[in-house]
Amino acid sequence: MNQIVVGISDLKVSGNIGDMLITYALGSCIGVAVYDPGVKVGGLLHFMLPDSSIDCNKAQKNPAMFANTGIPLLFKSCYKMGAEKKRMIVKIAGGASIMDDINYFRIGQKNITALRKIFWRNGVIIDGEDIGENHNRTVKLHISTGKILVKNSANVFEEL
Amino acid sequence: MISDKILKSINNLPAFPATVHRVSEVISDPDFSVDDLVNTIKYDQSITANILRMCNSPYFGIRYKVSSLREAVVYLGRESILHVVYAAGTSRFYKKVKGYYWGAAKLWEHSVGVALMSQILAKKIYDREDSGLFTAGLLHDIGKVVLGEFVHESFQEIMDLVSNQGYSFLEAEKEVIGINHAELGGEIASLWNFPKEIRDAITYHHRPDLMEKGNDSIPWLIYLADQACMMMGIGGGADGLAYRGLKEVVNKFELRQRDFEKSIVLLLKDLDEAKELLALVDNE
Repeated sequence: MNQIVVGISDLKVSGNIGDMLITYALGSCIGVAVYDPGVKVGGLLHFMLPDSSIDCNKAQKNPAMFANTGIPLLFKSCYKMGAEKKRMIVKIAGGASIMDDINYFRIGQKNITALRKIFWRNGVIIDGEDIGENHNRTVKLHISTGKILVKNSANVFEEL
Repeated sequence: MISDKILKSINNLPAFPATVHRVSEVISDPDFSVDDLVNTIKYDQSITANILRMCNSPYFGIRYKVSSLREAVVYLGRESILHVVYAAGTSRFYKKVKGYYWGAAKLWEHSVGVALMSQILAKKIYDREDSGLFTAGLLHDIGKVVLGEFVHESFQEIMDLVSNQGYSFLEAEKEVIGINHAELGGEIASLWNFPKEIRDAITYHHRPDLMEKGNDSIPWLIYLADQACMMMGIGGGADGLAYRGLKEVVNKFELRQRDFEKSIVLLLKDLDEAKELLALVDNE
């Protein structure tokens, strides 16, 4: 199996059934995994921050850094390979926070909110999620089966 | 009270390279000579080799190809020499780390991340870089190198307190082992003759609110840089984000959410340009 690593602020798509996409160390960042079982095309995004308005130049160079630029690019990249929105399975993981993180720099919370708004506006339904709390997560997506796995706080992969 | 076993472990650590402290002394003289500095460093081959590995990194912005120690010292400039020498001297302690899942290379990546972020924040807040802050960033989690073995032995017990009883990872370490990695790191820095401000920054990097008010900006900056790296998953481990958030930090630095997020964007760029620093520690 060919393992393709998705870095921080990065996205990869594949239609090759020998591929497995993986992203490590999602803290407050969110991993978005999408898959169309009809054409066996999938993609994985690891975005870092909710909104690109803080640095529009950066967003142009690296759209995968932000929710509002990365999520549309993830879907469009999959459409280019023949995926269709109505068949796509969408799962998310990450968005963890520091403990007692009520009053400041709530990046995990803000990432989750930004993502939900974008999905709601575009009529995208989330088929599975493992978000919040305060541990790191690793996500992988097998292109052959569409299986999406998340490494939980006990360091064990479970299907999402 | 530190248990005898832990005390024995820290006493078994190799001494901190004397060269590094000597460089810091030489450089603290505003009129230091390049010859003095080169002569101080050149007998430590591992540090010299590490300096040469790092100084062509885009992070330091040298536009010439550096091939000798003398050139490195001349082109780097005062602050950057200290950064490079401390990174070169510190990395040797990150060889094997148990207990936090992800090993020495990840812990080193996290430490470099915190050091880089501390400079970004210092520039934003105080309009200057600070090599003491950089060193504190590199060493803030040094306690984990020793404590990891004990965390590994008691891992289930610690995780039970964190997952089910609302403990932070730091509190759980203290409850189960008797000392947390920050306090132990402070002990190690003391054994290595680091100045008080760096020892304090290590000891209080998760709880700067417990320090006496006054000269506490280094610990607060390390705290904030550490939180940013934990949120971004930079070299994160089993402890994840299970640490307390202190809202006082907002008033302390009058830092807006936007500025914090912009700093994170800069951090990612710096990390990308500082790959040679990360490469000082190999995967186990």
